[in-house]
Amino acid sequence: MSNNRCYIQGSAAISAQPTFEGDFFSLPMIVTEANNLVAVEPDYKAFIPPNSLRRMSRLLKMGLTAALKAVQNSGQPSPDVIITGTGKGSLSDTEKFIRDIVEYQERALNPTPFIQSTYNSVNGLIALQQKSTGYNNTFVHRGFSFENALLDSMLQLAEGEVKRTLTGCFEEMTAEHFYIKSRIGFWKEADTGNAQLFDRNTPGSISGEGSTFFMLGDERTENTEACIKGMKMLYKPSAEALERGLKDFLDKHDVGIGDIDLVISGRNGDANTDHYYRILFSANCPATPEVPFKQLCGEHDTAGAFAVWLAAQILKQQQLPVSLQAFVANPPKAFRRILIYNHFIGEQHTFFLLEHV
Amino acid sequence: MAERVFITGMGLITAIGDNVMENLRSLRLQQAGIGYTRHIDTIHKEVLPVAEVRHSTEQLAVMAGVPVLGYTRTTLLGLIAMKEALQSAGLTEADMPGTGLVNASTVGGMCDTEKVYYDIIDPNKHGEFLDYIDTLDCADCTQRIADTVGIGAHIATISTACSSSANALMYGARLIKHGMLDTAICGGTEALTRFTINGFNSLKNIDKAHCKPFDQHRNGLNLGEGAAYLVLESESQVKRRGAVVLAELSGYCNANEAFHPTAPSPEGDGAYAAMKNALAMSGRSVDEVQYINVHGTATLNNDASEGKALLRLFGDKVPMFSSTKPFTGHTLAAAGAIEAIFSVLAIREQVVFPNLNFSEKMEEAGVTPETRLLEQYPVTNVISNSFGFGGNNASLVISKYE
Repeated sequence: MSNNRCYIQGSAAISAQPTFEGDFFSLPMIVTEANNLVAVEPDYKAFIPPNSLRRMSRLLKMGLTAALKAVQNSGQPSPDVIITGTGKGSLSDTEKFIRDIVEYQERALNPTPFIQSTYNSVNGLIALQQKSTGYNNTFVHRGFSFENALLDSMLQLAEGEVKRTLTGCFEEMTAEHFYIKSRIGFWKEADTGNAQLFDRNTPGSISGEGSTFFMLGDERTENTEACIKGMKMLYKPSAEALERGLKDFLDKHDVGIGDIDLVISGRNGDANTDHYYRILFSANCPATPEVPFKQLCGEHDTAGAFAVWLAAQILKQQQLPVSLQAFVANPPKAFRRILIYNHFIGEQHTFFLLEHV
Repeated sequence: MAERVFITGMGLITAIGDNVMENLRSLRLQQAGIGYTRHIDTIHKEVLPVAEVRHSTEQLAVMAGVPVLGYTRTTLLGLIAMKEALQSAGLTEADMPGTGLVNASTVGGMCDTEKVYYDIIDPNKHGEFLDYIDTLDCADCTQRIADTVGIGAHIATISTACSSSANALMYGARLIKHGMLDTAICGGTEALTRFTINGFNSLKNIDKAHCKPFDQHRNGLNLGEGAAYLVLESESQVKRRGAVVLAELSGYCNANEAFHPTAPSPEGDGAYAAMKNALAMSGRSVDEVQYINVHGTATLNNDASEGKALLRLFGDKVPMFSSTKPFTGHTLAAAGAIEAIFSVLAIREQVVFPNLNFSEKMEEAGVTPETRLLEQYPVTNVISNSFGFGGNNASLVISKYE
């Protein structure tokens, strides 16, 4: 299936950087002192009518808006298929309903947070808005949520019955959930912020959130940004399996290390898990320029999608954004192929390969 | 894309039995699993009936052969069903690294985290509850199950509300058809929670009596819990292994209604599209369907909408159909896989299961479910329906192996 064409015909990303509106490529990185990167939320009124907006919780607004903008940016009609991934869904709704149950002693509860806490509620809204009655699926598997959504989309395109899939992800962080995860060492103890993310060599990372959507199609269109050549997921691989996985992946796509112009890595500054990147890259592609991305978007279950978005923009613009230029002393003359390697808490590891079109 | 996908193993646990054999016996004896909760702390415990697996979480851990600490009820139910499925397919430890798992869940480990949530968010509290801190999401149960039995080739969790495990079966079948996997174990697991009981109750969707699918006086669903997994294998893998085929997954379709966040369309557009396309994929005609295991939750909207879809697709020749939810309750993410197993049993045992608690046809759609247990009934093709929130509709066609 991976030899079939999968073009990014349009995309949109809401993140902690000015990626949704504004000139992300020429602006410096938005810097935070704290260990949580908060998404820059757009003005939703341009996308969602006010009466709907009032009822919708934050993640639903973020997800729906990114989805609609990706469709808009593609210049294509409604998608045939909608497939998403989210690790945690609408945490604020889940937390609210848990609290409401206790606070109101299980009586006269408002069902809205329950409905919106359902992981596929964003998909339902997108389908409703786009009048898309085709295949619709939601994956909820930590660092394989977006990845399975992308795989499913590529299978759909390969099956030949659909022309376009709207594929994306959404994640939010709440104060309460940030605290919960801090109890099991997810975040750095000292306030580190994103500018110093890689300087401390301490355990933990910084949190992030956001929503990224792609209109994927089997044809190259005028607005097409890049081509997704392939993806490979490895679940809890050993060091050998990871190394073999990379070789198999590149072989399968008939690409050598020398053909890769840039590596985008999921390094997140966590002293416990960053060795995966160090070992793999130093053994396999020590000379290839590498840029990390989690200082931009923070660590979250579906951060991999942000890396795919970033790769597509670099391939389209044929340059690195200002915020990443310091990582590469000698940038390549042209960006033809980008390899992404990302893992989530050392469990779900993924390679993506994107190509210039 | 030519590979056919076969069902070569299955395992389940529900309120009507700890394994396939016990479930089949309860279905034949027409013994429902609906009662009152013994394990959930809720003000509704003596008001809203549920279909609860009778064992305590500690007992489930013993049955699953793992320590209880850190394992949620969701995971334990899943592990018990998984182990039966593996045994039934004759799969061993050596087969596991090449096997994939597509699991389904609607609220992950909520059953255990909701009990300790206020401790988890209280910096002054410490204790064993911290072992449950990262079990709330849907991937926790999937990974615990995969890690316990050693599944390694592919892993995914799907959450599309009440159609989740039907979609898990579909995704697994497609991974096989694309040659990405030879063996995929697909299904779902769902434990009762105060969260979902209150959620459905706030939607005024729960009946205070035993649910009455397709009845004029139906008044909502009863929630249930359970887990079910089916082993799917490619035709070539079946030949290589010499595996015994239980049935073929011959067709499937996932369609969205794009109508309303929680309610189905009155004319059953999504249900109609899902059944029609799944049947078309299976290459079977409407006359070749002998039994439909309907979604039949007994909510006012679902049954009216599904009933109309049946009439639209089959006209005046609607096949035998029944909802088995009066037995197992509505097990949400596990329902699609549990009912897929019941569909395999209908073919293997040549039996149609009764729709309990039905007495009067609905005004909105004049269809009558089968209320008797029909033995020695020739069943070769079954449609199994699972419809959910967000307009997610899924239908599977399960066929006799020929």
